[in-house]
Amino acid sequence: MARRVAAAILAAALLLPTAGCGDLSRDELNRGVESLSALAAQGELIASGVARDATKATYARVMAKTLGGQAEHEAEKLADAESSPEVKEERNAAVQVAGELADLFSELQTFAGDEHHGALVQKHMGEVKEQADALVVRLSGEAP
Amino acid sequence: MKAILKVALGVIAALGGFLDIGDLVFNTQAGALYRYDLLWAVALGTIGIAVYAEMCGRVAAVTQRPVFDSIRMRLGFGTGLVALVASTAVNLLTVAAELGGLAIILTLLFDAAFSLFVVLAAIGLVVAVALLPFGGIERIFGYGGLLMLVFVAVAFHQSPDWGDVAHGFVPSLSSSTLYLYFVVGVVAAALMPYEVHFSSSGAIEEGWTEKSLKENRLNAIVGYALGGILACALVIVSGYLFHPIGVDPGDLGTVALPAQGAFGETGLLLALGGMMFCVGGAAIDSSFSAAYNLAQFLGWEWGRNRGPKKAPRFTASWLVFLFLAVLIVLSGINPVEITEYAVIFAVVALPLTYLPILLIAGDRSFMGGHANGRLSAALGWIYFAVIVVLAIVAIPLLLMTNAGGG
Amino acid sequence: MNREEPIFVAHRLLDEQILDCDGKRCGRVDDIELQGSPPRVTALLVGEALYPRRLPRRLRGLARRIAGPETWGSNALRIPWEEVDEINAAVHLRGKAEELGLGYGDDPENWLVRRLPWN
Repeated sequence: MARRVAAAILAAALLLPTAGCGDLSRDELNRGVESLSALAAQGELIASGVARDATKATYARVMAKTLGGQAEHEAEKLADAESSPEVKEERNAAVQVAGELADLFSELQTFAGDEHHGALVQKHMGEVKEQADALVVRLSGEAP
Repeated sequence: MKAILKVALGVIAALGGFLDIGDLVFNTQAGALYRYDLLWAVALGTIGIAVYAEMCGRVAAVTQRPVFDSIRMRLGFGTGLVALVASTAVNLLTVAAELGGLAIILTLLFDAAFSLFVVLAAIGLVVAVALLPFGGIERIFGYGGLLMLVFVAVAFHQSPDWGDVAHGFVPSLSSSTLYLYFVVGVVAAALMPYEVHFSSSGAIEEGWTEKSLKENRLNAIVGYALGGILACALVIVSGYLFHPIGVDPGDLGTVALPAQGAFGETGLLLALGGMMFCVGGAAIDSSFSAAYNLAQFLGWEWGRNRGPKKAPRFTASWLVFLFLAVLIVLSGINPVEITEYAVIFAVVALPLTYLPILLIAGDRSFMGGHANGRLSAALGWIYFAVIVVLAIVAIPLLLMTNAGGG
Repeated sequence: MNREEPIFVAHRLLDEQILDCDGKRCGRVDDIELQGSPPRVTALLVGEALYPRRLPRRLRGLARRIAGPETWGSNALRIPWEEVDEINAAVHLRGKAEELGLGYGDDPENWLVRRLPWN
């Protein structure tokens, strides 16, 4: 008896994380956009270091590479998922934000020692973050 | 004067050796997610490791028994073997996590392939161990780890609302499983048992006797208290900088970012340097801990100071553990993920290694007048209860939160 | 030694670390040989081949297969009680480990140890 209960709990615990698969829901889209905003925030911090010549170029480059990879992964995930029609527009906007973010990171990676580029990337990162945040507001604001 | 200096050096080594990749990962994430709310968990874990370390050091100094000697004697061969296998598996994961972390930090400093640095880091550790005496290893990495003080400076530079920070030390629970997962993670990261198994074996290697008890107590209390301050600083700087903008620090490089924000390139280099020494030292400590445990349980000759010729099986098993860790890291699993599993499984295995020490430390037939007094006994048993609760909830929380992935 | 001593000694003897006269760590007390009535400790038993009998019954068969058959004098050793010098935190022997066949795994003559790069 105890063993059967334990098995049921284990099975439930294992299935729980996969329960949300299928169509891209508003919630999941929201979470995806939030992580884009977080990546942009981190990019802004690193770019500000580059802009002020207050970082080590290798550090900025490797970080930009890692975070850019994450942005790209997020973009692919959003683009591949079937979204429900009601959030189609937001989904497309999110894919665009993710793409812009990935581009910015690759620019930062190329010009990790260049203060001028750093300042530009910093500014753009801020804008992308604002776009992402606005999207989050739209997604959570319209939720029933 | 000389005695004071010696004690100070010991305390500094304990302080520098306190932080490892588990603290870096969990504390920074805890700050980013819950701002200062989990500072109480850091304090809980820090007091716990100080209690455990003080007992292990005292048992080692008085009875000349390292941890796995006590475990085999109190638990017998069968149950002791379970403790050994569990600890060894956790230690192996820990060595892999620290080695991988060391390689990541090196790539941030000298942009080159990760796998190259994994191999170089392992070779570097072997060379350091081969060339330096036992005390030298402990001190170099301990003192290097002091660079982490830059995080305390960053915290003051940010000048957060200290009232909010103080409020974080008031324990609070929530029904969010992610929050509970981070409570377990933060406490467990401070309570990593390999540190204690390493330092008590080290105490025997360095010939501690009953005369060393005062030094032992100071190392445990002052060293870990100061180490706890560093661990809190990680939470505070991350909570101040990352929490408001929603950054999710999923990799080690992000841990150093607040230092760059506050003090520019100098701050960044100090932070990365401190992390490098902490994680490198922890790689040595955890790999040695694995070899100590095995040799002590089976009755082999052991000890860094015995040298490879007098303790060949011990030395060989140390190298094997390091080699296996290299293979694990090169398999491509993200070191940050390995860290999460190492920390969570460590707390699951902890009751089995903690209980025998608690029993022996309280046993007058072994400890004479140095047995646990009322305060030590009370603290010891309270922490045993805490550890058992953590061990029970750790794996369900790991599964329910998808290892903190939400 | 009074009459209670044997039980106490068994409790403080089993699983303890063994040191030879030079302080070399050379195994643990994996089992104890008792003889007579009332039983007295007549020997310490040491060696990997004795591990299986320390495990729960169900695991013994598997453990035997891994540890290999008991071969007295090689992977299972009998150390007569007369060899024991003193018992405190560890069991101290009167003789040298090599003379008793103990600690062979750390012996430079061991085939594995001979192959290590530093030997």
